[in-house]
Amino acid sequence: MAFTVLNSRMVEIKIDPGQKLFSQRGAMLAYRGEVSFTPSITGGQGGVMSMIGRRVANEATPLMTVEGSGSVMFGHGGHHVQVIDLTGDTLYVEADRLLAFDGTLRQGTMFMGSQGGVMGIVRGQVSGQGLFTTTLEGHGSVAVMAHGGVIELPITPGRDVHVDPQAYVAHRGQVRNKLSTALGWRELVGRGSGEGFQLALSGTGTVYVQASEEKL
Amino acid sequence: MAHFRLHGSKVLAVEITGDAVKAKNGSMVAYDGEMTFKKKTGGGEGLRGMVTRRLTGEQMEVMEVKGHGTCYFADRASEINLVTLHGEKLYVESSNLLCTDDALRTGTTFTGLRGASQGNGLFTTTVEGSGQAAITSDGQAVVLRVTPDYPLRVDPGAYVAHTGRLQQHFQSGVNFRSLIGEGSGEAFQIRFEGEGLVYVQPSERNTIGGEV
Repeated sequence: MAFTVLNSRMVEIKIDPGQKLFSQRGAMLAYRGEVSFTPSITGGQGGVMSMIGRRVANEATPLMTVEGSGSVMFGHGGHHVQVIDLTGDTLYVEADRLLAFDGTLRQGTMFMGSQGGVMGIVRGQVSGQGLFTTTLEGHGSVAVMAHGGVIELPITPGRDVHVDPQAYVAHRGQVRNKLSTALGWRELVGRGSGEGFQLALSGTGTVYVQASEEKL
Repeated sequence: MAHFRLHGSKVLAVEITGDAVKAKNGSMVAYDGEMTFKKKTGGGEGLRGMVTRRLTGEQMEVMEVKGHGTCYFADRASEINLVTLHGEKLYVESSNLLCTDDALRTGTTFTGLRGASQGNGLFTTTVEGSGQAAITSDGQAVVLRVTPDYPLRVDPGAYVAHTGRLQQHFQSGVNFRSLIGEGSGEAFQIRFEGEGLVYVQPSERNTIGGEV
């Protein structure tokens, strides 16, 4: 399944018979060929149990299944689109940032507490990720939305990357992620530098950061 | 001295090696290495600067970023322009100033009627010295050269910054059409004369002039 970036805000995906693709509902802009769009009630992959899981985890974003043969163009809300190619690794991303992804990718939900216990939960709340986040795993491409374009920052052992939680988009690879606080008396008296919380990412992988502090 | 470079058009990467830069509060999106962030009082120079800034409404929420590594800045996905100063003065609205080298001095000047027409108040920020500064604009800014023979007229809402020896005049084209609500929306302009550069953004802020 080929993802072609048309411009910074649109992506074209070629679909062949027998292939399946999930996309955010209503994000189709135009298409060529014979393509059908069906709302995916279960909100992605897996059966009803996965659906319930996502509903409970509040990671259930309205998705639709795209099938047929032709090419479909996607875009949403004028947001910038970044195509990420997965080669067997796992992408951690918020469900509402997903524009479209290959149907062969395994979709899952991860409990933030499973990475860092209670601090993981706090981190999820601070970064606006909530208690759960979506994972995509396998071989294929994902189109992710971000406000104002995305930069990729590599993470290598010994060179940690700190990210503003509001500007964090997604990450992949073997990455430990913990919340670091730089709170001092200045924050308490309302004289903070506005950088009180950061996500500290360490390990090996890539983090995607958007050029804005606005959430979608 | 900190090294500024653009990462795409909307992200500024600053390499800091033990020195400091001043940046708009909360504009850091990511960093690697070791960094500390400290809020500066009002962004002015000393107590006097702080008082001036408070009085003129040109106070900036500024933080000092210090450390070793690369720090990435961005502000609401606006476009970033790098300006290198060699001793001259840059006039810029405080809301458009993203990051400056620590070696640069910031101050406040009176702009008169022009400032009011931009919807930015009567005062503007000046940056002076040698070093790099980053200014933001809504859309990719164009840099227009002004020479004594070629004065330039700019819509107050689209003006971002200027450098060089320029005189500014405020001119209006208000006529009876504007009064009865049939104006072209271009009732006011700023005229720049002299020698210098003007940064203009492809977007207009809400100004009083834009309405008539």
